[in-house]
Amino acid sequence: MSYTIPTISPYTPEISLLVAVVLIFLLDVAGVKSRILLGGATSLFLLLAFLEVLADLGTWPLQGLSTLPSGYLGTLQGPVIFTSFGLIFQGIFLAVALIVGFASISDPDEEGAPTFYALLTLAAIGMLFVAVSADLILLLLSIEITGIATYALVGYTRRDRRALEAAMKFYIIGALSTAISFFGASLLYGAYGTTQLSAFSTLPANHELALMGFGMVAAGLAFKATLVPFHMWAVDVYDGAGPNVAGFLSGGSKKMGLFALFVVFVAAVRVFGAAEGYVLFLALGSLAVITMTLGNVLALEQKTMKRMLAYSSIAQAGYMLLGVAIDTPAALAGATLQITADVLMKTGAFVVVGAAASLGIGPLITDYKGLGHSRPGISASFAIMLLSLAGMPLTLGFVGKFYLFFAAVEAPGYFILLAIAGLLNSAISVFYYARILRLMYMPDDSKAPASDGHSLTHSTLGSATGPATPRWASLRSEITAVGTARWITIVSVAVLLVLFGIYPTTLVGAMNSAAQQFWTIGF
Amino acid sequence: MIPLDELLVFSGLLFSIGIFGVLTRRNFIMLLISVEIIMNSAILNFVTFSAYSPSSSVAQAVSGQGIAVVLIGLAATEVALGLAIVLALNRIIGSVDVAKAMELRL
Amino acid sequence: MNVDGVLFALLAGAGLLTAIAALLAREIVHTIMWIAILFVSLGLVYFLLEAPFLGVLQLAVYAGAVTILLLFAIMVVKKRIFSKEAVTGIGVSSVALAVALATLFTLNASSVTPPNGGRVYDTTLLSVSLFASYGAWVLALGFVVLSALVGAVYLARESRGRRIRAEGE
Repeated sequence: MSYTIPTISPYTPEISLLVAVVLIFLLDVAGVKSRILLGGATSLFLLLAFLEVLADLGTWPLQGLSTLPSGYLGTLQGPVIFTSFGLIFQGIFLAVALIVGFASISDPDEEGAPTFYALLTLAAIGMLFVAVSADLILLLLSIEITGIATYALVGYTRRDRRALEAAMKFYIIGALSTAISFFGASLLYGAYGTTQLSAFSTLPANHELALMGFGMVAAGLAFKATLVPFHMWAVDVYDGAGPNVAGFLSGGSKKMGLFALFVVFVAAVRVFGAAEGYVLFLALGSLAVITMTLGNVLALEQKTMKRMLAYSSIAQAGYMLLGVAIDTPAALAGATLQITADVLMKTGAFVVVGAAASLGIGPLITDYKGLGHSRPGISASFAIMLLSLAGMPLTLGFVGKFYLFFAAVEAPGYFILLAIAGLLNSAISVFYYARILRLMYMPDDSKAPASDGHSLTHSTLGSATGPATPRWASLRSEITAVGTARWITIVSVAVLLVLFGIYPTTLVGAMNSAAQQFWTIGF
Repeated sequence: MIPLDELLVFSGLLFSIGIFGVLTRRNFIMLLISVEIIMNSAILNFVTFSAYSPSSSVAQAVSGQGIAVVLIGLAATEVALGLAIVLALNRIIGSVDVAKAMELRL
Repeated sequence: MNVDGVLFALLAGAGLLTAIAALLAREIVHTIMWIAILFVSLGLVYFLLEAPFLGVLQLAVYAGAVTILLLFAIMVVKKRIFSKEAVTGIGVSSVALAVALATLFTLNASSVTPPNGGRVYDTTLLSVSLFASYGAWVLALGFVVLSALVGAVYLARESRGRRIRAEGE
């Protein structure tokens, strides 16, 4: 078995990020602590990598595997495979890193800034490898790259005791889940004699051993994806970490766990026959419903913004799990859309929390009272994110949920129950999102409440032409108070949510064909 | 050569002991040690299955030992980072408080 | 029952007992001692499994480096780790460690029985396979070590600004 070193081009995103890491190290040695320089360079390289992934998506995949040039990955035996589904996830992961990296430019300069950006970039490299792994061991090792980087990221504000305690907890949970996953992988290796994901569906194997192996790998990954029996840690960790890092965990490393779960489940589904497969789907479906219900119900009674967002993040993981619980490619496409939406809105929401903290707003939800009038820009954007999280039309959150639930309705059998459970959960979630919206826009009755996020953006963005000069001034003071980079990030995330919410066609088309391909070849 | 079943029973028991430790102990270092026991049982499994590989390809059969090599490196790296977190915590709070802070409630 | 079987039974028994003892020990230093014996006995099991390279690696990295790292972590947290009770416990566990080491020498002396069922590999084959066919794993491990290095160096390093401020106060 020979391993030919692939031509350089599919690895350009990874190489770009590695160059960024080296550059950050050099800047660190040179004593540069300025976030504008470091964060700007990181964001530039992340953007470059993102564009490279987009270019890769445009040029060759979205077709069958057979059309790929063989030099790219040798054969299927190789540990790495580039598919359009994986490339889409590479794009998603890079988007999270870009949002967090760019928004954190507005954080105060400090000694740890180079480390922050180096770890962020390394975590992004790990996620890029996760998206293209065709080998279980490489998948778990890549998860561990991101894992190690994020443990340190959580604790990187080393003067904050709560952050360090959160890092400790995150570290133990992460190490435990890795160990359990590797134990499962060892059983799979024993059953099949190889760790190639593609081999699991073709080779004959010891059935019990394989079942146990898949179960343990999935349990380990469920920790990363914060599915319900394994979700306890997430809230404390997100709460203890800085808001930007929490956004990165919720948007990035959790989605990475979900992606890995998708890969493992799709491999597992092929192994087991119809009867066992049915039980598997039943288990997955109920797990998804339990996760979303528990997350939503617990989010209802939270007092602080970060904990509320953390619980709603757990609930979102339940929706996304539906993507594999419903046995169709359409559901997988819906879940990918939902993941894309969640990356934007959840990471954006955590960045808003960071912005609010820099404005001197406390951690409690009630502290956001009246924000809609004092800070029109970010509160309008936040309103859009919350509406999108609640799944209101004209936002990307609606598109994701629509396709997901539509796939559940379309699928044969009992899957329609999952759609009903999902809809009920969306209804529950509206309560706590609406509570924040009402708080933000409550005391002043001269203006209509934020029922339509779209018109609100226009009213704030286009306010230069409007009659309200004091509002324009307050917008400018808001930008200086929040920090330009952070403000731009928040507003552009909101604009993207609305933009994709109104014109989802290209996104939906790409996700559909990618999910179709993923479903047929199993990557 | 040692029979396969005995090796599997041994690693299975080690795994259970590790899980037992994770569930019962609250101290950070004890949890770390429990996780290391689990990791060791996984490594032992890889070496075992490498010796009793069902695969016809020698490269695949020996890959189990390769995975074990990588995992030993991974575990050592993890422990180093865990120690760094303890050191950082020790710097900002007194050592008595560290002992208290290390009692995790998971 | 051949020599290998007897040795494995001894090593596995010792490993399981020390693992349990490690988790039940009251003094955390004892835990480290017990766990070191577990690591050693696992390394010896790898020798029995005809994987000498892994055995050496286990002894060097786990029984050596990881144990010392853990001990160091405890030293940081507890100022006095060698209390009276701790020292007596160390005596017991070092006897056990000596027994384990004696086993290593016995193992070395015993003639290796030919494999019946199991496969035996050359270390050369392992390294060729690891770096030729599965180079991606080593690459990924390299990234893991890099990110751990960046994180650990930052977390463990004394903050410069903080020290100055502390002196100022």
